[in-house]
Amino acid sequence: MSGSARSLAKGSAPPGPVPEGLIRVYSMRFCPYAQRTLLVLTAKGIRHEIININLKSKPEWFFKKNPFGLVPVLENSQGQLIYESAITCEYLDDVYPGKKLLPDDPYEKARQKMVFELFSKVPSLVTSLLRKQNEEDCSGQKEELRKEISKLEEVLTNKKTTFFGGNSLSMIDYLIWPWFERMEILELNDCVDHTPKLQLWMAAMRKDPAVSALLMEPKALRGFLNLYLQNSPEACDYGL
Amino acid sequence: MEDATRSFGKGSLPPGPVPDGLIRVYSMRFCPYAHRTRLVLRAKGIRHEVVNINLRNKPEWYYTKHPFGQIPVLENSKCQLIYESVIACEYLDDAYPGRKLYPYDPYERARQKMLLELFYKVPHLTKECLVALRCGRECADLKLALRQEFCNLEEERQESVSAHQRSFLSPLAQETQIKLKAYLRNSTGPEILGYQNTIFFGGDCISMIDYLFWPWFERLDVYGIADCLNHTPALRLWTAAMKQDPTVCALLIDKNIFLGFLNLYFQNNPDAFDYGLAC
Repeated sequence: MSGSARSLAKGSAPPGPVPEGLIRVYSMRFCPYAQRTLLVLTAKGIRHEIININLKSKPEWFFKKNPFGLVPVLENSQGQLIYESAITCEYLDDVYPGKKLLPDDPYEKARQKMVFELFSKVPSLVTSLLRKQNEEDCSGQKEELRKEISKLEEVLTNKKTTFFGGNSLSMIDYLIWPWFERMEILELNDCVDHTPKLQLWMAAMRKDPAVSALLMEPKALRGFLNLYLQNSPEACDYGL
Repeated sequence: MEDATRSFGKGSLPPGPVPDGLIRVYSMRFCPYAHRTRLVLRAKGIRHEVVNINLRNKPEWYYTKHPFGQIPVLENSKCQLIYESVIACEYLDDAYPGRKLYPYDPYERARQKMLLELFYKVPHLTKECLVALRCGRECADLKLALRQEFCNLEEERQESVSAHQRSFLSPLAQETQIKLKAYLRNSTGPEILGYQNTIFFGGDCISMIDYLFWPWFERLDVYGIADCLNHTPALRLWTAAMKQDPTVCALLIDKNIFLGFLNLYFQNNPDAFDYGLAC
């Protein structure tokens, strides 16, 4: 699991500057958006340090890192701050050498961004389903989620490739993966039961070294979610 | 103007393939999102053709270009389709040589994308204000919300001015600058002349982020909500500078024609989209 350090909360002292040769990511162990950034850091072998933030009791200094007070945020040794998960991922791909996750071809790059737009309703649907887990009134939202997921199945069907960017894994796959991982753990599997290509994609993703290195422990995620939905300040450190 | 052509409606024949050496944009003369793409095409001197779509009476064939029939859409001679205005603009910057509108530096590029996040409520709010006013409804709350968004952008303008200055100033000068900043913040009067600004959102030269914001600022006046900029002098400075840009100028929409379009549009007249075209 990533970043096993306890989270920093209200009243904590701000961390010092980022040492040269390293990049820092402000994160939270169970945040799907931050997981995107961690996936890219891991996939590209970028030396980094993780500071986890207690999202139910945010340190005051954290709003200087991101005025929106959200994770993930990148901070480099020049004190530059980058936030919004997709922007952090693209920044890392631009700055760091090694395997390029975004295609060089302008059209293929644009295609990945169009698929990203297709995916855009999924996070909020998954989140609201997670919150409603104990209620019966999920069927409407599950239908909506199925509909959105079908659009992604169509992409794979039309492209005839394993991954969303072609036959190898690339940026778009990492950007959407965290929600599919959560769908499996939190038993929303029936939302992908009509999408065989997506199921194959999910199996292929699990074989990726970066994905498997960052896979969450199902019990830990469930324990976190339980506390998080109760607004407990202990949630973010569940399992430590 | 390149886009002064009649729109395609239901029952129209689809245009043929895009000739080599040209790129096509499916557009509508008054649409702010399509305006972004046309600004970039013009700024980069990209040879293009415009196909206007009648948005109230969309041609059946148009859904083969965009699943929901939205504009803008780019189509190149390889039959590749690109949509979502921001994606289309970035594609053009990547695919075509010449002047780069996004910065080369990855951090500066990321900064422009973060700025776009600051802007995301503006299109919806300006549209809601327009609709409310046109339907004779009150929109004080909406205007307040819009002013708040403009204040966020104003703060960014003032902070980036400070950051720019900070690197060159002595402690005494920095103190003066802080007072100056406070003045700007409280000022509703004339702008300070000769005050060194990073006048545009991306620096001293106009760049992608300015073009991505511009279409909504151009429309404030014709929508009847120009007073929303009353408390944001740095933003007013910016709009004045934008109006000097040759690309912005070349695409400026005549106010009377825009008003004519709006009148017909709010009467649900499908001829609205071709208002002001000769013959």
